[in-house]
Amino acid sequence: MATATKERGALTHPDVQHLSDVNRDVLKALGRPGKGWWALLSLCMAGMGLFFAAWGWQIYRGIGVSGLMSPVGWGVYITTFVFWVGIAHSGTLISAILFLFRAPWRQSVYRIAEAMTVFAVMTAGLFPLIHVGRIWHAYWLVPYPNSRFLWPNFKSPLVWDVFAVTTYFTVSATFFFLGCIPDIAAARDAAKGLRKKLYSLISLGWRGTDSQWHHFGKAYIFLAALATPLVLSVHSVVSWDFAMSIVPGWHATIFAPYFVAGAIYSGVGMVITLAVPMRKIFGLEAYLTTKHFDALAKLCLLTSMIVLYAYLSEFFIAWYSGEEIERTAFWNRLFGTYWWATWTMLVCNGIVPIMLWFKRVRYSIPALFVISIFINIGMWFERYVIVVTSLHHEYEPWAWGIYRPSIYEVSILIGSFAWFGFWFLLFTRLLPPVAIAELKEVLPPPLRKQAKEAH
Amino acid sequence: MTMTDGIKRRDFLKVLGVTGAGATLTGCSTQGVERLLPYVVMPEDITPGVATWYTTVCEGCSAQCGMWVRTREGRAVKVEGNPNHPVSHGALCAKGHATLQHLYNPDRYAGPMVREGGTLRPITWEEGEAMLAQRIQSAAGNVLYVGQAAGPTMSGLVDQFVGTVGGRSVQYDAVSSAPLREAARIAFGVNALPRYDMGSARFLISFGDDFVEYGASPVAHQRGFAHMAAADEHGSKGRFVYAGPRLSLTGQNADEWVPIKAGSEAALALGMASIIAGDGAAAGPYASVLAAYDARSAAEAAGVSEATVRELAERFASEGPSLAMGPGVGSHHRNATAAHLAVLILNAVAGNVGRTLHLEGGPNSAARPYSEMESAIRAMAGGQVGVVMVHGANPAYTLPQSSGFAEAFGQVGFKVSFATAPDETSAMADLILPDRHFLESWGDSMPKAGVMALRQPVMQDVPHFDSKQTGDVLLSVASRLGSPLGAVTFYEYLRNAHQAMHMPAMGDFETQWREALKRGVMEHDIEMSGTVPELRAPDTALVFDAPALDGDGDLTLMVYPSSRFGAGEFSNAPWMQELPDPVSKIMWHGWVEMNPATAEARGLREGDIVTVASSHGSVDVPVWPYPGIREDVVALAMGGGHTDYGRWANGNGVNAMALLPAVAEQPSGAFVTMATRVSVSPTGQRRRLATNDGSNGDQHDRPIAPAMALADLGHGGGEHEGDHGPLKELQGGGGFIPVDAEGGAPAAFPLAGAEYGQYADKENTARWGLAIDLDKCTGCSACVTACQAENNIPWVGEEQALMGREMHWMRIERYYEHVDASEASHLDIRFLPMLCQHCGNAPCEPVCPVFATYHTPEGVNAQIYNRCVGTRYCANNCPYKVRVFNWYRYSSENVPDPMNWQFNPDVTVRDNGVMEKCSLCMHRVREAENKVALEGRGTIPGDGEIVVACQQSCPAEAIVFGNLRDPNSRVAQLVQSERTYRVLDEFINTQPGVNYLKKVTFHAVSGGHE
Repeated sequence: MATATKERGALTHPDVQHLSDVNRDVLKALGRPGKGWWALLSLCMAGMGLFFAAWGWQIYRGIGVSGLMSPVGWGVYITTFVFWVGIAHSGTLISAILFLFRAPWRQSVYRIAEAMTVFAVMTAGLFPLIHVGRIWHAYWLVPYPNSRFLWPNFKSPLVWDVFAVTTYFTVSATFFFLGCIPDIAAARDAAKGLRKKLYSLISLGWRGTDSQWHHFGKAYIFLAALATPLVLSVHSVVSWDFAMSIVPGWHATIFAPYFVAGAIYSGVGMVITLAVPMRKIFGLEAYLTTKHFDALAKLCLLTSMIVLYAYLSEFFIAWYSGEEIERTAFWNRLFGTYWWATWTMLVCNGIVPIMLWFKRVRYSIPALFVISIFINIGMWFERYVIVVTSLHHEYEPWAWGIYRPSIYEVSILIGSFAWFGFWFLLFTRLLPPVAIAELKEVLPPPLRKQAKEAH
Repeated sequence: MTMTDGIKRRDFLKVLGVTGAGATLTGCSTQGVERLLPYVVMPEDITPGVATWYTTVCEGCSAQCGMWVRTREGRAVKVEGNPNHPVSHGALCAKGHATLQHLYNPDRYAGPMVREGGTLRPITWEEGEAMLAQRIQSAAGNVLYVGQAAGPTMSGLVDQFVGTVGGRSVQYDAVSSAPLREAARIAFGVNALPRYDMGSARFLISFGDDFVEYGASPVAHQRGFAHMAAADEHGSKGRFVYAGPRLSLTGQNADEWVPIKAGSEAALALGMASIIAGDGAAAGPYASVLAAYDARSAAEAAGVSEATVRELAERFASEGPSLAMGPGVGSHHRNATAAHLAVLILNAVAGNVGRTLHLEGGPNSAARPYSEMESAIRAMAGGQVGVVMVHGANPAYTLPQSSGFAEAFGQVGFKVSFATAPDETSAMADLILPDRHFLESWGDSMPKAGVMALRQPVMQDVPHFDSKQTGDVLLSVASRLGSPLGAVTFYEYLRNAHQAMHMPAMGDFETQWREALKRGVMEHDIEMSGTVPELRAPDTALVFDAPALDGDGDLTLMVYPSSRFGAGEFSNAPWMQELPDPVSKIMWHGWVEMNPATAEARGLREGDIVTVASSHGSVDVPVWPYPGIREDVVALAMGGGHTDYGRWANGNGVNAMALLPAVAEQPSGAFVTMATRVSVSPTGQRRRLATNDGSNGDQHDRPIAPAMALADLGHGGGEHEGDHGPLKELQGGGGFIPVDAEGGAPAAFPLAGAEYGQYADKENTARWGLAIDLDKCTGCSACVTACQAENNIPWVGEEQALMGREMHWMRIERYYEHVDASEASHLDIRFLPMLCQHCGNAPCEPVCPVFATYHTPEGVNAQIYNRCVGTRYCANNCPYKVRVFNWYRYSSENVPDPMNWQFNPDVTVRDNGVMEKCSLCMHRVREAENKVALEGRGTIPGDGEIVVACQQSCPAEAIVFGNLRDPNSRVAQLVQSERTYRVLDEFINTQPGVNYLKKVTFHAVSGGHE
């Protein structure tokens, strides 16, 4: 494996001389936070205040504070739900699927990606609660034994959603935690005081013995295998929220693969968005190299092409079907009231990633950062287009209507980023943001040897 | 006892008891202790949970339809048409339903009040009556009583009262048929409104008579119209032509529209008459008039082609029996009587008098002229009035500023208002003696000769309001003045009057009185002479030319009574405010109608606020482009712009009266509504108009409301037949079994593969469904309000309606297929009452995560409010978009006390965050099923035993409810019609339980959707 990793361009950075350097460099991030961190945390907490204030008011007054109406019963909330579920995808993809496929470049980014996954699911999971009319009865969607023998409707995609999202959260959180254990132990060894106690507790007595490594490896590969189908299934299920309906623009067999590709695309985009500042702030340039970004960018490029293909095939099929209502729905997407959303989506997801064909762009961190922002915007609008433009222009012309998001929906949308950012910021200070143990695995063999001698 | 002994059972119970009691006590607040007392002595005629029905007479307009009022536990909860009543035949209009909101109007006067220094001080009835008596005494015979159309006994009492105290009474009807009455007098020497027998006509032409919306008897006319204009089982259909500058709702129902110039009705009618009459002999004394109107001059005056006039005349004479109706209130111009006379001449020459137009037995509707009021205003202004009493009328609002009413009224020394609720006139009154609402009062009515109906209180007066029937007040004041009128209460007075009329031949009076109260109506055979009077020579000078119009604007202004507000008396009923106007589909705010070409030429779009200015005043109002109005005409509805009429009326829309002069038409004395030209100039401001029309009346070639040509009837000619083979689709319900999309429904329920459990019991369960005949539907929207009243549907207000959140379970979609305001041509406007389709294969059902919506074994798509979490997936997946969501607590926040007394106890009041929709009046179904079961008649009520609220109200009888599985039921037979279709069923295989019968057109329909 070692030779293979080298050939594939494993980590060789002049600054990293010893294995202990890895510990030093990564654990540095767990030190005393700077002003910037506190500033960001305050910003996030302010955003969370907005989030909970808006949500609280909505619960108190009624869901009417949103701009939702007839015929658009789902709007920014469901858009944002799907957006965050999509973001949650790349984490498991990078950590589990790429692990199984032995892609070595994942080691540097998978911790960030996994953390992002867990927090994104935590964010996404709030939105079904936010959007229902009677949140106090939302638990009825869960099949729990009750004296009335009332069960949820297992035919409803929304019930599948409950299972899909909770399963995904459980597995990805477990996988995330499991992968952290050796690194938490490393952090424990370097920490003092309360932190040490905390790390001792959650490192579950990790000592790095052979048998522990053996079990760890088995468990990790087992969970990776378990998580892999989830990557595909969760977003397929989310897509069925739409595809199982009869709404023109939703009812399409392409939805599952299209959503999965879109999810990976948006997730990788978000990894880039998060990794670029972290690399800078925590001085991880040695570990998150342009090679890693190049690999991420290639993944983006691939998925953007799949997504663009899905868009085009949707338009084509709508035309080719000869079905007037379906045709109108897609014509309306491009040239109707919400044309701007569709064109934003097409430009951000179809046109902008074309630049990734150029190696210079893939190797330019600022360029990638900018492109990743476009990807995030484009993917949010993709869901907005699917949810809103399809609903506002359905079968019955008399019932067509225009939805205008309210200030509460926008507050909750913004607040959701703050909520995500809050957890992510805590993560950067409490857990090693890059996988120490796995990085050591991919150090080039001469360095490993040197390190051994030096030890 | 030590702790080591553990706690003993007895101690445990003690502790539990004490803490339990403590918790209970702290749970109660000592403030606001309410005593709940059960009935000690059961009220005799109230059984909790069982409705009691009373008959009475609607006072919503002057048509005087018979009503049945449903009361529950002593509260009126719903009004319905009385099937025994010869005028309304069991139907009721939207306004009729809204009278309940006047009964429970929270803005009603709390009690008698006197104005002192600008503020109202509550007084007792004793004080109020004493004050009135004293003022009348000192007025020394100068008393003026301003009323409006009232029952015969009340009118008699008023006459007797003013006769006793000295003075006079005038009656003012803001919406009046005075010109028609005058024209009938001139032409035939009768002093009554003619009776139209629309049902017998085969060719109907209306010169602007908007009989669906207002007039002598909208409900009766609609019924007659539906008989005439709807295709019957033999494929025969009468033709309706509308000649007028603007398509009213009545006009929208026409088969052809002749968009004549404003005020040219007489020219067209005379032109047609002259062609029919030939040498003019049939026109008798009017031969010379006809001679002046040949086809060419008529065509020129009306702005249509000569061929149109000839063709109309020929068809009018040959496609008989025919009937022509003269201009309605919206077209009351300065020559309105002449126009009516011209139309009567047309009827006479075509031989319609005595056939479809009768001069006997006509409606006894509001036809009093404005000129009476004019003289009363002069008297007030001249200081000849000491005490003025206003009852029922609201002239300060319904008359223009230039009438001088407000100034003249203000000059009167003592002004008394008997208004039930505040209005613009009572806002100026010195003494307010609130009358009872008609549902709390005694009275009678005579809607037409030979029909007498009693009005009785259906409940105790609403306790929030200390009101007293004006009849009682008049009697009491008369006694105080020392000249009692023969009765102490109005009830006594009424009985006496009827006893006096009673003929012993009819049996015992008491029995007959009770019978009348029970049936709601007494009918006497009246002798009809049966003779057809000849046309008489006019006894007054008449001008048949186009009327003079004030001002020099380029557009003619039409002001028409609103089908929702009348002349403004229904503006404070939120049901009416939120009912989409049947023509414009706009809720709450007012608008000015303008042809799209006119708007475009001025760069105006929908919602642009314009200043409409005449030489008498101006209003700022948003534009609504309407293809159904001539390019040289703009129109405003009455009923907007109230200033003192209550929380829902004030500030909504504009009062069109501000633009009008106060002119009385000669010779009838009617108020002239089409009097002026206006100019329209943009203000640069905009206002969004709340509408439920999402596509500007375009059905985008989709088969939502298809039609069939009359020629295709009976040839198996559904245009979709043979287009494609039967669709097969995979079904979710009960397994993946292909189900035929065509042909199978509606009996196909339950779907193959779902036949287990209760569904399998086809013998003992019904499949409830509806058949709606679109050829009968006039779009009047009575069903929408009936449904709202029956099912506790809240209103949401303009702001929410603008967002598209109105809660109606039913809506009337109105699609323009062919509307041409430039020349006479066929007209094709389609109405579609859209409600939950109760799909056999409902898209909403599988997507609900909690089974809040599911299918009952009876084929009804049910909604369980308590189970609903509010994901709104069902609404997204409903192709018909008939599901509405409670975005806020509309039912509690929008409905103030005592308006909530109207809630139907049989229907759940829905709270925040739940979905709702048409339940197919499941509570009525259950009630009937319980009855059938108790009577041991099986499980399925017989055909016609269940009448759903929309069906009950429909004046056109377009809606039929019943068991689709029973081949003998009316609904099942209607569904067999070749006209039957189910909306979108062929596309998405929803298998609806609501079946529509296509509209039938005279012209060929082309294209896939027509």
